[in-house]
Amino acid sequence: MNEFERDDAELMRMARGLATDVQPQRDLWPSIAEGIDDTDARPVVRWPRLMAQAAAVLLLVGGSSMITWLTMQDAAGPTEQVAATDTLTFRPVSGSFGSDYSLGPDFTDARNSLVAKLDEEMERLPPATRAEVEKNIATIRAAIAEINIALAKEPENVLLQQLLLRTYNEELSVMRKVDLLTTSVMRREDI
Amino acid sequence: MKRFLPLILIATSACAAADDEERSVDASPDGLVSISNTAGSIDVRGWSRNQVDVRADLGSGVDELVVERDGDKVLVQVKTRRSMRSSSTDLHVRVPENSSIDVSGISADISVDGVLGAQRLQSISGDIETTAHEADVDIETVSGDVNLEGDRRPIHVTLSTVSGDIDVDNVFGDIKSGSVSGDLYIVDGEFNRVTMNTTSGDIVFRAALLSNGRFDVETINGDVDIKLAGEISASFDIETFNGEIRNCFGPEPVRTSRYAPGRELSFTEGGGSSRVIIRTLNGDLRLCRDD
Repeated sequence: MNEFERDDAELMRMARGLATDVQPQRDLWPSIAEGIDDTDARPVVRWPRLMAQAAAVLLLVGGSSMITWLTMQDAAGPTEQVAATDTLTFRPVSGSFGSDYSLGPDFTDARNSLVAKLDEEMERLPPATRAEVEKNIATIRAAIAEINIALAKEPENVLLQQLLLRTYNEELSVMRKVDLLTTSVMRREDI
Repeated sequence: MKRFLPLILIATSACAAADDEERSVDASPDGLVSISNTAGSIDVRGWSRNQVDVRADLGSGVDELVVERDGDKVLVQVKTRRSMRSSSTDLHVRVPENSSIDVSGISADISVDGVLGAQRLQSISGDIETTAHEADVDIETVSGDVNLEGDRRPIHVTLSTVSGDIDVDNVFGDIKSGSVSGDLYIVDGEFNRVTMNTTSGDIVFRAALLSNGRFDVETINGDVDIKLAGEISASFDIETFNGEIRNCFGPEPVRTSRYAPGRELSFTEGGGSSRVIIRTLNGDLRLCRDD
């Protein structure tokens, strides 16, 4: 008998010496039987029909929304950034430069001065021309408001900043031009 | 400042009829002629004589036709009673061809031809039509249209309206044009510098940009249609916030942001000696070669 055969024989002898059953320290059956009895005795819980219907509706709507959201994610890529609440309620006024900045009091003073002079000169214009000037200044102001709102959503957009500045300048320029042209032409007529 | 005593020359011609007047005064060959008329028309022609000749079909509200010479300056003026501003007078003026002219009206249409000197033309609601030759042209209107024809000699041109259209044909040199709602058309010319601005008016350019030139276009809501003629050597920088860009030169525009509709396009054609910059807010742009 070699060394490995001796070890196997020893292991077999020790295994035969182990107990064939283990007696628990206490009788476990009563508690198990009690548990079984409890399960059998518990009444079956049934949802009221209305609750079940509501749950089904919720499940349907939730599932549908989830599918829609997943579909949009796949189809459209990144969704448009939602503007902050203050951007949505932003109402530009003259001199606004987006929702965070303004052109300041100097601009406002200069503009108010030109507006006052324009109002005087407009009285001297033929009615049809006056209507044309008013319409075009309204066009410029509508453009200023549109760019301002866009800039409020994208404050770092350099193109919008440049176009807004140019359009403000255009407003001043048109008022100045009408004033100068009218004054110049009328003065010569008034001699 | 040296002052001249005004030399007033009264009419040398008899009136042809009660409402028609003819006057003429001697004039400097290259002086300044200032002309104003409230309503009706002003027609100015250059001629070879050193004389300013005026024919007027006077409206009923006219107080006086003034034709005065003061040194190198000649003043032609239709004086109208304030309450009769709408009174219409047709004015035909011949000036020495090398004169500079300064013409203004309120609702009078202005037409100029054959004047080689500088032109400054202003009207509130009248249309303005002129030919430019070898001196600068400066035109301003509020609601009137502007029509300018060049003769291929390089000049500086400044054109401005509020709602009137601007139409430029065959001008060479530098041009600056702007309008709020009027459309701008520049065709058949060659330019070193071009500036075209509108708020809502459309912009059309079909002419050549010379080497080392500069071309600036800005509009808020107008559409831009550019066809560049001749040999093209320019770097292009185009940007729109919400418009479309169609480029016949090849390169495609790219989105400026994942979250905004803006597009931009930068590329170089030829050696890139000139610079082209175009910006719009909502206006669409088409850029092509004018074959």
